[in-house]
Amino acid sequence: MTMPVTQCIIKLHEERHDLEDYQGGVPRWCSGCGDNAILTAVQRLCRDENLAPERTVFVSGIGCSSRFPHYMKTYGFHGLHGRAFPVAEGIKMARPELKVFVNTGDGDCCSIGAGHWIHAIRYNMDMVVILHDNHVYGLTKKQASPTSPIGFKSNTTPRGSYLEALNPLTVTLGVQNVSFVAQAVDWVPELLFDIINAAYHHKGFSFIRIIQRCPEFLPKVFEPWLADPAKTLILTHKDGLTLSPETARTYKNQLAHDPADIDRAREIASSEDPIPVGILYRNPDVPCYEEVRHAGAMRTAAQLRAGLDAELDRVTVWPRS
Amino acid sequence: MDRATRFDAHFAFVATGRREAEGLEAADGLIPAAFAPYRDLARLRHDYPLVLTREPRGPGPVHSLSGLVDRVLRELAPKGMAGERLRKQALRLERDIRARAFHGQHGLLSELWEHAAAATGTHSGDNSEEVLRYTASALKLDGDTVACDAAMPARLIAHAWEEGHAARARAFRKLCDALCVRLADILRAAFIHSAAGMTAEALRASVGSPHGDEFDFAAMSRLVSRRAPRDELPAARRGRIESALATLRSQRFYPDPRAAEGEAASAYEFRFADCAAAAAAFRERLPAMVETVKAIAIAELETEGRYDPAHHDGFFEEFASHSLNAEDLALFPDYLVCIEPGRNADPANANLMEMLSSGLPVKVLVETGDALEEATLGSGHFAFGVRSTRLAMTATSLGGVFVLQAPGSNLYALRERIAAGLAHRGPTLFSVFAGSDEPAAGLAPYLTAAAAMQSRAFPSFSYDPHAGGNMAARFSFENNPQPEADWPCAALEYSDEQLQREVAHPAFTFADFALCDRRYAAHFARVPRDHWNLAMVPAADWLALAGDAAAQHVPYLLAVDADNVLHRVLVDTRLMQATSRCLTLWHRLQELGGIHNSHAERLLAREKAAWEAQRAAELEALKGSVPPERGKGEDEVAATAVPAAQVAAAAVPEAQPEPARDPAVAWIETARCPSCNECQLINDKLFLYNANKQAYIGDLKAGTYRQMVEAAESCQVSIIHPGKPWNANESGLEELLERARPFQ
Repeated sequence: MTMPVTQCIIKLHEERHDLEDYQGGVPRWCSGCGDNAILTAVQRLCRDENLAPERTVFVSGIGCSSRFPHYMKTYGFHGLHGRAFPVAEGIKMARPELKVFVNTGDGDCCSIGAGHWIHAIRYNMDMVVILHDNHVYGLTKKQASPTSPIGFKSNTTPRGSYLEALNPLTVTLGVQNVSFVAQAVDWVPELLFDIINAAYHHKGFSFIRIIQRCPEFLPKVFEPWLADPAKTLILTHKDGLTLSPETARTYKNQLAHDPADIDRAREIASSEDPIPVGILYRNPDVPCYEEVRHAGAMRTAAQLRAGLDAELDRVTVWPRS
Repeated sequence: MDRATRFDAHFAFVATGRREAEGLEAADGLIPAAFAPYRDLARLRHDYPLVLTREPRGPGPVHSLSGLVDRVLRELAPKGMAGERLRKQALRLERDIRARAFHGQHGLLSELWEHAAAATGTHSGDNSEEVLRYTASALKLDGDTVACDAAMPARLIAHAWEEGHAARARAFRKLCDALCVRLADILRAAFIHSAAGMTAEALRASVGSPHGDEFDFAAMSRLVSRRAPRDELPAARRGRIESALATLRSQRFYPDPRAAEGEAASAYEFRFADCAAAAAAFRERLPAMVETVKAIAIAELETEGRYDPAHHDGFFEEFASHSLNAEDLALFPDYLVCIEPGRNADPANANLMEMLSSGLPVKVLVETGDALEEATLGSGHFAFGVRSTRLAMTATSLGGVFVLQAPGSNLYALRERIAAGLAHRGPTLFSVFAGSDEPAAGLAPYLTAAAAMQSRAFPSFSYDPHAGGNMAARFSFENNPQPEADWPCAALEYSDEQLQREVAHPAFTFADFALCDRRYAAHFARVPRDHWNLAMVPAADWLALAGDAAAQHVPYLLAVDADNVLHRVLVDTRLMQATSRCLTLWHRLQELGGIHNSHAERLLAREKAAWEAQRAAELEALKGSVPPERGKGEDEVAATAVPAAQVAAAAVPEAQPEPARDPAVAWIETARCPSCNECQLINDKLFLYNANKQAYIGDLKAGTYRQMVEAAESCQVSIIHPGKPWNANESGLEELLERARPFQ
């Protein structure tokens, strides 16, 4: 198969990057924090896909999860609390060729950022969204978040939280234009990487909820699941995940689930014991907002300037002569 | 005349082509009996006329009038009797438009629709004219109407080519505009950061006229010049970018339609009437193509910041026409050559085969109006279209050429193939028979063209070299009627002298096609009704007779005159020889298309014999191994035994068990490591990370058993297995072994 001269030339002198090449600052997360596993998996993805650091951007809000861009040697935007999605959408509209990742937490996404979250799903812009769900506001030292389990005692809920935890999966699956939803856990790194890899290769808004441990404020909440692999339900399918023999030996509780079946996905998503891990839903045919809204004609710099001048001149206060 | 004399007269004509005896008449004015129902094409619903539209994002550039009317009726006419009146009026209007087109009235569909609505409405009375005008609003498209005549193939192909050309122009302009904008941005950014960009005049121009007097630009210039970082574009890079920009802006393959009058370069012409002109134009423009591809490559590298002079300068210095490949040529328009009927043998088209075999991006339409042309070697045998009917077959052997052969009547049905041919990256040949130059009895070009395909004289087929790796994928001729038969047969109803209904199934042969051309009327002789005899057999059946039997019979065709009276016409030997050769070529085409493929049939027969032998052997073996059940025969027992054997063979093997490990040796389940750094913080020489940043045990001597146990205890996922101590002198081993037990 031939390819144009330009592609031949570009491929001739491609640079390869090792995993360390994507390491930015030294992570300041607590030792044992699940964010480290997510960071490793994402760096592996960047290495395996040979992502150009100058064409990759990580966008985050506020929280432990949102320290992520500092630890990646790519472009990054550490923004305001709950506002990672609008920034990521703006980046994608202006520079659709960039690979955009969003790192958000259970507070940043499901609490203050919930409004942006719902509509980001609808826009279905091509980006990978990683929800670092540790069930607590960790950076601000232990407050209940929307995904904290009922009865959780924290600084803001000293008698235990009163509400059932929000399920980010069922919420996402209930929004129009949803195209990719998956769940992973940070203590099964093979599946964590496979899911992030699948999300990267999906064209559209890829939402991954990663249930991660917070060794500081919720050290034992996931112990039953870590101790008993049967409490983790692995979703397998030829269009979803396939396990290596080693992982299959440990995690025998498996369920064949077709990611194209949204009704079944919603049913599986509402389960919390066992925790379903895998690709719940994938639909490659949902159009992406940036393609639907892409301007037809290229605007020159002169045209942009003329347009701006015309708009600004309309409200200019003319000095008295 | 007695019977013997009649047979002699018939045989003499068949053998010599001369009508010597009385009773044999000329076949002037006769047409094949199969055409009797189709004399007035204007009144019959068929694909033509076509409507050639120009909708950039519509359903396609070619539509049939009947298809459009059907669409309008589906949208507007309610089901059942309520819509019946509208349907009748619309079909009457369609017939009127068809008749106008058939009689040479050209124009846009909307214009013909308007005239037809007026004529049909006047005829029907009441508000029919208004209703029919209203139906035009449901059309949603408009274009030129084209009847099936000699000019139609060229118009159709050229129209489809122009639509493809417009789409390619849009794609090229999008690419070119994006690159030009980005290159201009690089130059502009360099200017802003340069000394020239920081002068007072440049700063004044950047602020804009309304506030030109508000600032001291001289002071501003001094300020920004002092602090702003300089970023002068290297001269070589500037030259490279400016050169690429100039090339892209001045290329003539797809000029910018937004450029002002007089500013845009004049576009190259890509339509030619002969191969020599097209080849000359390609040679002349090759340097410009090389420069444009080079400019695009440089622009893409520069805009992505990937241009490395050390690597790329040498490459582009050597870049020339030999560097272009099919993907690069696909950026540019294809060259369309439309060769009119009768000009195929012109000297200007002598290099047609060479052009097709060279891989040039050329689309050639070769039209012919004579599929029965005589050989230049002299009289005696039909060459029947050496240049026309065999041109396409020859082109398929060149490799890499997309070939489509079809009569004009079939072009609409093959519009997707035509589109595939125009989109093919490489040379394409369209060989079209547009209808006889001298049709018998005023037969319409549509009918003579259809007859050419029906009779296998000009069968329809296509060859797409990129459709797959073998002939089965590439070669297609499913549009031919009854492709598995030698000749297509259709039912012919007629009434005999007693006005009783009779049905015949005559084959439509090459000889029937020859009857459609008045130049070959001399090869036929009409036999009066009372001279019909049993020695006369249909021409298709006569071909199948062995030598002796053939000598005892004479071949005939069924034909009709202007009053639709049925006649039998004898066919002379010369024409029958040509018919036989046509059949031989058709058989060859069938094999290529996978029908009666002799190799496949031979292989199938061999495999079938082997399978039957194997089955017989298995049955014999089973007789000995499986005791027959009471009441069952051997076959039933064999049938039940085979499925059981198949199920046993399909049993899934169990998964491999985990390899046994020495419990005394420390190990980590590296694949399950979540990279949490717990163990690394304890001892980063005892616990190392692999390339995937997952932990494994490094140097045991670099750490203590205590550290190993502590790491196992702090590991969140419990994947560290401490094993037994490797240093017996380490203190507190008893306590450590106890703590290590849960992790072994």
